[in-house]
Amino acid sequence: MKLSFILGRLLSAIPTLLILTFLVFIALHLVPGDVVDIMLGTQNFLSEEQVQQLYSRLGLDKPLMVQYGLWLKNFFTFNLGTSLRTGEPVAKMIVEKFPVTFELALFSIVFSMLLGVPLGIFSAVKRNSKPDYVIRVLGLVGLSAPAFWIGAIFIVLVSGAFVNFTLFGFVPLFKNPGVNLQVMLFPSITLGMMVAAQIMRMSRNSMLDVLSQEYVRVARAKGLPAKKVILKHALRNALVPVVTTAGIQLGYLMGGTIVIENMFALPGMGRLLLQAVNQRDYPVVQGVVAFIGVLIVLLNILVDILYSLIDPRIELG
Amino acid sequence: MKRAWSVLLVFLVLVLALGFGAGNLKFAIETEPVGLDPHLITAFASHRILENVYDGLLMYDAEMNLVPALAESFEIVDPNTVVFTLRSNVTFHDGSPLTMEDVLYSFERIRDPNMGSPAASYYTEVSSIRDLGDNRLEFKLNVPMVAPLLHNLAGVNSSIVSKEFVESGANMQLQTNGTGPFQIAEYVAGDHITLQKCANFYEQGIPKLDSITFVIIPEEIGRVSALRNGDVHLAKISEPVSLNMLSANAFTIYRQPVLSYYLLGLNDQAGALADPRVRRAISMAIDREALIKMVAFGEAAVTGVMNPTVEAWAVPPSAFPEFSYNPQKAKELLEEAGYGDGFSFSITAAARYNFDKVAQVIQAQLAQVGIQANLDMVEWGIFIQKWRDIDFDSFVSMNGGSVDPDKQLYRTFHSEGSTNKFHFSNARVDELLEAGRLETNLQKQYEIYAELQYLLVEESPFIFLYSPNNLFASTLRVSGFSPMPNESLTELRVTEIQ
Repeated sequence: MKLSFILGRLLSAIPTLLILTFLVFIALHLVPGDVVDIMLGTQNFLSEEQVQQLYSRLGLDKPLMVQYGLWLKNFFTFNLGTSLRTGEPVAKMIVEKFPVTFELALFSIVFSMLLGVPLGIFSAVKRNSKPDYVIRVLGLVGLSAPAFWIGAIFIVLVSGAFVNFTLFGFVPLFKNPGVNLQVMLFPSITLGMMVAAQIMRMSRNSMLDVLSQEYVRVARAKGLPAKKVILKHALRNALVPVVTTAGIQLGYLMGGTIVIENMFALPGMGRLLLQAVNQRDYPVVQGVVAFIGVLIVLLNILVDILYSLIDPRIELG
Repeated sequence: MKRAWSVLLVFLVLVLALGFGAGNLKFAIETEPVGLDPHLITAFASHRILENVYDGLLMYDAEMNLVPALAESFEIVDPNTVVFTLRSNVTFHDGSPLTMEDVLYSFERIRDPNMGSPAASYYTEVSSIRDLGDNRLEFKLNVPMVAPLLHNLAGVNSSIVSKEFVESGANMQLQTNGTGPFQIAEYVAGDHITLQKCANFYEQGIPKLDSITFVIIPEEIGRVSALRNGDVHLAKISEPVSLNMLSANAFTIYRQPVLSYYLLGLNDQAGALADPRVRRAISMAIDREALIKMVAFGEAAVTGVMNPTVEAWAVPPSAFPEFSYNPQKAKELLEEAGYGDGFSFSITAAARYNFDKVAQVIQAQLAQVGIQANLDMVEWGIFIQKWRDIDFDSFVSMNGGSVDPDKQLYRTFHSEGSTNKFHFSNARVDELLEAGRLETNLQKQYEIYAELQYLLVEESPFIFLYSPNNLFASTLRVSGFSPMPNESLTELRVTEIQ
């Protein structure tokens, strides 16, 4: 039954992906200024004829629907095409960039869970006390401070205070873990801040909700210590919505990496996407968006499976 | 315990020494190359890397003089003919020797209409390129225009490539094989490019560095911080205000006035802007000094039709009242043109290189003389399309400059010029531009271009604003680095690090 559930979810994702890639394709082509415009800039020496040759060499002289059809046909044979600017295969670019983004998103979500869940529970248990107010205000700050601002503050402070701390110059985790962790630390915290605030609020609300339920009152009434009631009886149920939030937030994190990767000069997919959009490198944008789309679909399925692990009463299907 | 500490200390020193090897320079730049084929690239970010990897027949030295590169010498035989003598001891990075065949092939490749090379138009007036034997190469022109030809040979787009390498099916946008002082050792897109010293470069003792790693950090705050905490040794500074973060006794600041210039481009057919008096009025209503203070924090200089640093050709801006702030005179001119009550027009600009800020300052300044400028802020891709289609009243942008008057002026001001996006057409200007490029007598040529500069200011087809300083900063360990007026980084070959 689990397998059929997963298969069903995967199949239902196909129309989602079709709509997603189609919208991105159309949106990108509707924006004024195309890849050739940007390639040539305002210092253009080419004749009209040469410009037309350039369009046909890049396959951009065909009608839009034909271009999309061709892309789709290739997509289903796992061929994402090549970059219009560099000729590099898009699939190769994604494979190179994904680990960086994945590491960043993973560290951020771990950071935000480690910070958000305990604070949220503490806040719920100490409801309406001074610490609760402080945590709630901090949560609001975390939600409203934009990541690019927090990032800039970190960069300025760290570069001034810790001269030997490596802020820039990414190296893969397995090549040099020490430097990698230094380079990834502040981007992960910056990206995780906003998510931590959301998780904190969600954990707090969810915990308050659970704490007011009868079975918790029963547990208390029969004389169980408060610690046991909270950690053993309440926490599990309170975590279900938190995991949903975290799952949805992973999708948000993928988007958030665009800002953070650019700010901290990390060679990930977010930066690749931003650059490709700026240069109207259509196959790269399409490929990255489709890849992120598939990833988010998979993540959602994973979250559904996690539910049933946390709360066995929830069945898949 | 003490012993353990000293072992640790020695270890740390060793690690530091290895990590920052004697000749390994880390250089933070803001944008990365877009493609590596020297005959196809248009992005400046590609040029500045590849000019250290590929060579042309000629190049510029730090003072913008044309000097030999792959050609050890040249002789102007007559106004239509120039003969180059190639160096004989040059090898490509793959070890194969440079031959006359490679040189001829490179120009064939550039001129091949199917290539779509931006340099193809440089050579439209070339009637033949011939091998004279004895390492001698002859260019014959249909018109007596040797001087602009020589300048064209100095750009990366005119690099010499290996025929064998190209024909082997190498993807030239991804792979390089040049004759320059450095070769690309590693390129991780979106992260860094490492150039490695080429051991058999034709000039002895060059380059000085063992390697250069260009670390790509798009955000200004990131580059400055990377320099401050030692992640890089040298950094491109885009915002003059960042210099405040770099104390003078710990960093070297490099300021190089460049040939590029900011302009307020005008559509010379749009309403009031069709009247040259109105255009001159706008020029006088703009306080360039204030603009430079506000947007460039003083790191710029007022420029004219030719950049004032090109003393051989330039009529200095001070010779023209139009380049000085004079709101009273501007109002008089507007009155005379029938716009005494002012008028309104729009300024299109993208948030890039401070174009948006320049537009805002101009908006405020023009309001002082009764001109209402409405800002039309757009994304860069949209901007380029509007520019291409001349779909604007006016725009703020930057033009590349040249030390050669023909290269600087022809394509911009000739009614058929490829970057004349101003609907500007003036018979006398066309006449002078055509005469200037064909004139072989230097004195007469100077007179032609001087008359042209006066005429262009009188017509003011667009408003020249200022040329910025190209800014870099390095730690004190870096020496010998000097950015060039054309924003080129070829001086990296003589840069050293202690």
